[in-house]
Amino acid sequence: MIKQVFELLFGADPELRQIIGVTLRMSVMSTLISALIGIPWGVAMGANQFKGKAIVSRITNTLMGLPPVVAGLIVFLILSRSGPLGKLSLLYSVSAMVIAQVVLISPIIAGMTANIVSLRAPSINETCAGIGIFGWKRLWLTIKECRIPFVTTVLAGFGRSIAEVGAVQMVGGNIQFKTRVMTTAIMMQTNMGHFEMAVALGVVLLIISFVINSLVHRIQEQTQRDRIA
Amino acid sequence: MIVLRDVVQQYGGRVVLEIPELRFVPGRRYGLIGENGSGKTTLIRMLAGTSRPTSGRIEGLEGKKVGYLPQSPYAFSFSVVENVALALDGGRDAKEIARKALVVVGMESLVEARGDRLSGGEAQRMALARVLVRSYNVLLLDEPTSSTDVRSMDLIENTLREYVQKTQCTLIFSTHAPAQALRLADEVLYLEKGRLVEQGPAQALFHSPQDERTKAFLRHWSLNS
Repeated sequence: MIKQVFELLFGADPELRQIIGVTLRMSVMSTLISALIGIPWGVAMGANQFKGKAIVSRITNTLMGLPPVVAGLIVFLILSRSGPLGKLSLLYSVSAMVIAQVVLISPIIAGMTANIVSLRAPSINETCAGIGIFGWKRLWLTIKECRIPFVTTVLAGFGRSIAEVGAVQMVGGNIQFKTRVMTTAIMMQTNMGHFEMAVALGVVLLIISFVINSLVHRIQEQTQRDRIA
Repeated sequence: MIVLRDVVQQYGGRVVLEIPELRFVPGRRYGLIGENGSGKTTLIRMLAGTSRPTSGRIEGLEGKKVGYLPQSPYAFSFSVVENVALALDGGRDAKEIARKALVVVGMESLVEARGDRLSGGEAQRMALARVLVRSYNVLLLDEPTSSTDVRSMDLIENTLREYVQKTQCTLIFSTHAPAQALRLADEVLYLEKGRLVEQGPAQALFHSPQDERTKAFLRHWSLNS
């Protein structure tokens, strides 16, 4: 079996390449959109005191733990023919998978961002108030100071996206050469007893996960070194 | 004149500061002393506008330029000179002015160092330079020398004296070192458990305090210094 796995990994299997391509396209797209939504959402929560902050924070924390199948179900109902966005015919496409992923990942990025910002914001706000810096300039300084931890947050979002099964299966349909991604393919190949393909895909997923974790670790180490130096 | 009327500050239902009336005369230097938790920081933060009183009002700050140095100022991750220039609205000479301000607080050798890599004492001096680079009507400093060594403390105190003389601003500072209040302030205010216990000219308050609580605090301090 190991030989077959290596043949798949280093050969030119068109399906394997296609699955990896769709997975990366979906994960990169959903992470970017989630970052565009989640970072401002998290900054707004972490940097400001406002009425209803506690409830917004509680909702965000709840959404951070949203079960993927529930996210999948919500997006499925919205995109299905009788749903409010049914006319767009997005169901069983990569776009639908990206939407489901955004529903799942945006709150995670927002929650992590809020935590990062809330650690620095009180001190930055006090300092800025003391020298007459308010509004957008203060917000920009806060974002600038948090940029490195933000990268970690986005990478964590990407890691979550690439490993997702339930939601993408529901709205993507695991269609060959269209919406099949690594996780849904692993599940299907395992059920069919095609372990070589499942293991080959698992190896690719593990390698990607290892690279992401290494990057996060490196950024965290660098930040730690900067603080000590 | 800055006047506090019936000012109360509560956190989670606990009263942390309660001042029926307090006046700060323009151009004078006020030193706030007291144990940790006595309300010094709360009072300074309310005057700075970064904390609103639960009830009561503060008058006389409208239209005034107020500078404020918090107890733990933030050191941004860019260069020290850029940190100081932040306070100058990015004018063409901002960096040059910032550089001069850093020389005054003895940081000429650290101008290009990164702000977030400074020691506690260096960061405090940089933050002081960042505040003093502009002119204010009222200058509020929350424990401006809490992390500095004796030599730096002398330098900071001299810098503050010169700044106040030059700008004629009202200086209100808190300190964990009563001796600093005696050296730097015209008037000293002793706070305890969120209440103003005694206020008076620095020499008079230190040498003949009226309230038993002030006497006990000063006795404890002189025994330990």
